[in-house]
Amino acid sequence: MTTIRPDAVWDGGELPPTVRVGVNTRINGSHAFRRIRAAAPDALVVGAHTTLDGVQFSIGTHARVTIGNYCCLTAVVIMSECLISIGDYVLIGFNVVVADSDFHPLDPAARIADAMACSPSGTKLPRPAVAAAPVVVEDDVWIGPGAVIFKGVHIGRGAWIAPGSMVTRDVPPGGCVGGNPARPMERPT
Amino acid sequence: MTRTIAGDWYPGVIPDNVMLADGAFVETTSSFSRFRSRRPKALHLDKNSSAYAGCMFDLGPDATVEIGPWTLLNGVWVMADSQIHIGAYVLISWNVVVMDGHRAARDIAARRRQLESFALSRDSGIFSCDGAGQTPRPVTIEDNVWISFDCCILPGVHIGTGSVIGARSVVDMDIPPYCLAAGNPARVIRNLDAKDRAHG
Repeated sequence: MTTIRPDAVWDGGELPPTVRVGVNTRINGSHAFRRIRAAAPDALVVGAHTTLDGVQFSIGTHARVTIGNYCCLTAVVIMSECLISIGDYVLIGFNVVVADSDFHPLDPAARIADAMACSPSGTKLPRPAVAAAPVVVEDDVWIGPGAVIFKGVHIGRGAWIAPGSMVTRDVPPGGCVGGNPARPMERPT
Repeated sequence: MTRTIAGDWYPGVIPDNVMLADGAFVETTSSFSRFRSRRPKALHLDKNSSAYAGCMFDLGPDATVEIGPWTLLNGVWVMADSQIHIGAYVLISWNVVVMDGHRAARDIAARRRQLESFALSRDSGIFSCDGAGQTPRPVTIEDNVWISFDCCILPGVHIGTGSVIGARSVVDMDIPPYCLAAGNPARVIRNLDAKDRAHG
């Protein structure tokens, strides 16, 4: 990670054709887009005035990610197989993972097929279906360092996610959750 | 004198207000890419302590951090705006976050103003509290503590001598000396026997 360059949208060079970015948004880190497999011109849409510092995206063939305006994400991993939608004024701390998929099938036989499909010297067969459900993070949410947001989770406006939380269920607007699995808690001062 | 590290992949320097005692080791200057402290002795790495690649000394303008002798930091994110004290013979594993405060304001309107002014200036390139964040609370990790990977040590926490923190724990309250604590939130699981103690 280096400090944000004020003169370049992305310090890694020209933005890939799958990425659209609003005014005054700055992106940092040469690995940011290495794992975007989607070909759509709007696979990743980032709003204006947003800072992505050391954020890495993994976006599957038919997946999309949208991020709003005035967000600040530091050293976050975003892994999408369907849809991850992040609102405006969202702050996400380091070592956070947001994923809308289980990555591999739960069924053992399907998982063997998946292991072979994933291997570089494998069968080259298409991967079996993997469970995925959109993740929505509404405006003004704060996500502390080390938290993980799992598939299908909807985090309501202004919610506060404690550091290290494993969020497996929806969080209501203005709510506060923490722990593993994350449960409602009193927000610490 | 500008200090660099031989063979460093990162094109940085060791800031002048980082004190390295004899035998103290820093693997790469990327650990200082978020270093903004203006304190005269902002970071002190005591003798034979080590900070391997992946460590990040994310120090705000008024932060001071002390790392004791023979302490090993293997990819630790130290996020300080007040004081963080780490004692001697401490072992901290990868992806551990030690933080003394929340830089974001608690109030949503104030947080929006922070994000707007950050997007306008980006002076240091790093989101910082600008006096609008929550008041930081110093963190102390005493001698001979061992913290396993992926833990979060939260603001105001004090971890007593000789204690062990299990992997992926989130420590949000004080941990007494010589015990094993784990979980999210972390709880004391058992005390360590007297025979396990270095000094009885």
